[in-house]
Amino acid sequence: MSVHFIRVFLLVCLWASSIAASAQGVTIFAAASLTDAMNDVVKMYAAKSGVGVKSSYAASSALARQIESGAQADLFFSADDEWMDYLEKRSLIDKGTRFDRLGNRLVLIAPAGAARKVEIRRGIDLAGLLAGGRLATGDPASVPVGRYARQALTYLGLWAFAEAKLARADNVRFALTYVERGEAPLGIVYSTDVAIARGVQVIGVFPQESHSSINYPIAIVAGRGTAPVRAFHGFILGSEAAAVFQRFGFAVR
Amino acid sequence: MIDLSIRKQLGEFGLDVSFSVPEQGLTALFGRSGAGKTSVIAAIAGLLRPDEGHIRVSGRTLFDSASGEDVPVHRRRVGYVFQEGRLFPHLSVRDNLLYGQRRSPVVNRRIDLDEILELLGIAALLGRRPRDLSGGEKQRVAIGRALLAQPEVLLMDEPLASLDAPRKREILPYLERLRDELRVPIVYVSHAIEEVVRLANLVVVLDSGRVAAAGTPEELGERLDLRPLLGEFESGAVIDASMEAYDAVFDLSTLAFDGGRLRVPGNAGVIGAKVRVRVRARDVSLATQKPVDISVQNIFEGSVEQVAEEPGAYAELKLRVGNTRFLSRVTRESVSRLGLRTGSRVFLLVKSVSFDRETLSAAPGIASAGQRGHG
Amino acid sequence: MLTDFELQALWLSLKVALRSVALSLPFALGAAYVLARIRFPGKVLFDGLVHLPLALPPVLVGYLLLLTFGIRGPLGGWLFETFGLRLAFTSLGASIATAVMSFPLMVRSIRLSIESIDSGLESAAATLGASPLDRFFTITLPLMLPGVLSGCVVAFAASLGEFGAVITFVSNIPGETQTLPLAIYSAVQTPDGDAAAARLAALSLVLALSGLMVSEIIARRARMMLGGGPE
Repeated sequence: MSVHFIRVFLLVCLWASSIAASAQGVTIFAAASLTDAMNDVVKMYAAKSGVGVKSSYAASSALARQIESGAQADLFFSADDEWMDYLEKRSLIDKGTRFDRLGNRLVLIAPAGAARKVEIRRGIDLAGLLAGGRLATGDPASVPVGRYARQALTYLGLWAFAEAKLARADNVRFALTYVERGEAPLGIVYSTDVAIARGVQVIGVFPQESHSSINYPIAIVAGRGTAPVRAFHGFILGSEAAAVFQRFGFAVR
Repeated sequence: MIDLSIRKQLGEFGLDVSFSVPEQGLTALFGRSGAGKTSVIAAIAGLLRPDEGHIRVSGRTLFDSASGEDVPVHRRRVGYVFQEGRLFPHLSVRDNLLYGQRRSPVVNRRIDLDEILELLGIAALLGRRPRDLSGGEKQRVAIGRALLAQPEVLLMDEPLASLDAPRKREILPYLERLRDELRVPIVYVSHAIEEVVRLANLVVVLDSGRVAAAGTPEELGERLDLRPLLGEFESGAVIDASMEAYDAVFDLSTLAFDGGRLRVPGNAGVIGAKVRVRVRARDVSLATQKPVDISVQNIFEGSVEQVAEEPGAYAELKLRVGNTRFLSRVTRESVSRLGLRTGSRVFLLVKSVSFDRETLSAAPGIASAGQRGHG
Repeated sequence: MLTDFELQALWLSLKVALRSVALSLPFALGAAYVLARIRFPGKVLFDGLVHLPLALPPVLVGYLLLLTFGIRGPLGGWLFETFGLRLAFTSLGASIATAVMSFPLMVRSIRLSIESIDSGLESAAATLGASPLDRFFTITLPLMLPGVLSGCVVAFAASLGEFGAVITFVSNIPGETQTLPLAIYSAVQTPDGDAAAARLAALSLVLALSGLMVSEIIARRARMMLGGGPE
């Protein structure tokens, strides 16, 4: 059994809300954290150009795997460099169309009204803040926000303690939900997630230097650079889309 | 006494049945399929709830729409033998038999396992599973199981219907023993007239949910008006006789009845035993003078009570010998040629070879008691 | 042969699945009995509700569980206040998620076995003096046992494979809620996790297959015992 065959088999078992994209029109695979902003961008683009765009949101890892196994995606908007690199290494994206488009910040959140602000620095009493509960974030093994969280906690000297305390969500939105529902007293998510969430509050922002910069690269999938796809790619990189992304709390590059 | 009067609407079919039967012996509910027989015993058992009426067994009210009484099935103490046996497949024969006994109050236990094993001949089956039993064995176990629950009445719903002829012959003697040796009244549903005639003390004929007639098999057998209801019944008279002598040289038994002596083949029982004989109408020939030098063993002098001419070639005659009634089926041409009419003196000729195991059986031990039928 | 990580996922999966079966069995018995034997208005709706987990996306089921059994949910809040029990992020919560997902399968199997019981046998038991409860325990239950057993094994096998509801409700915590399918998922999500994923996949394949085979063997044995003979 070839490794490739196993991989295809495993992907069948994968949970992903991907849609079977049709051959016509434009289909974009975007990281789950982009859901609300991208929906607005797509709506705006449709109003302006009359072109309907289909979008599929999931963990960047899941989307990259799907593109690898031939999913009908035209564009990939990843929440980190690693999975974009993964596709680029396999020549599955058009290198010349890859741009770092958005930036984000990592924040510590708590259920609304539950906690006061803290300054995030080395020696912070994470155990005291958790009070026996769990720290919700993405799975560091696979979900980008989890990986950034691991970097930041390692930098702060808290990883050894926190590793066993993580509630490892399948994507960042579920990490947010865990905190919102009071299941976890604390969570680490992107600042953009908080902008659209009710029921949670930011109690601290992780210092920039505690983790590598959070980058959202976008690229056209190899061999799918038709005129409509290029046009939409250009629109995402333009100023109208930039305003939308800013409204949702992203840093635009 | 089983005293019953029930009404029940089952879709298009309306059941309206009332009768009383005595404390002992076997009462047959007879009728075509769909006549409502099974519904009646299901109501006695509590498996079918009448719209109105009452059901009393041995003075105990099981159901009364007027007072609102409705004893649940499991407290009615009725034994029920289903057509298909319904043995519990996951229990051994022994556990099947004891299922009801274990649930009966100790003070009520009149029938014990050994008695049942002997009575039904099932001692050898105790360790087996129902799936390893033949149809006849299953039915005997089902009967034993119902009896060991110490019922006040035993209800049997066509227990022989699913069996072939040899299996039926295997079980019939056991049913006769139950009827004669146990002090449990039996209500026996059947659409097979031969079974009914052989077993019943009393017959209640049901037709379209109503009681069409009630009486002893002898009485009903003579009623020519019931012919359509009795169906394909081979018409004949039922005579209860007693065993008088057995001639081992010629292997013939002599039976005494009220009006004469009947010679039948084989050994019909111990001297003094009650024997029920069915004399089929077609086996009775008639003569106006006493024949001589004839092979026929049974020749009785009697009188014609009634002549019923049928469409076609035949006529049926009701005859009396002493206090016993016979039926004879001859051609209309013979009736005309011999000039037979009510009051004619005739000689009845019955060949001994016309008797067989189907027409000879042990007579019910209890004389027919009073009955009333309405509805 | 197996690494500690694989063993941990394996034992956890078995534990979660076993508890899941134990949790759902009493409810499945009740639901199956009601569906097979009792007529009541709204039965179609009840039937639909029982089967809902089959039709809903597992992730949605997990989310609904979070809303219901979470600390702020109606049931979860009560459990926490009364027993100090928290379900989210625990293996018990994982068992509840798999129990809900495999519930329809278990009910189906049990219901079929009840429907195949000749209700005449219960009537017969009633005429022999057995009360309704007595009849259930001495006749109905033993006769439906094959269906109950195979329902349990099928539910057990399904529990071993449940993913979406588990990861959503109790997240993916190694040693606590990371069952085999979740471990496979994590491995696939890691850029170089293919080989580890393949080993785990092979493991769960063997597990699922043996579960289903055991179920078939039990069903066959039971049929023999009840006198039907092999079908």
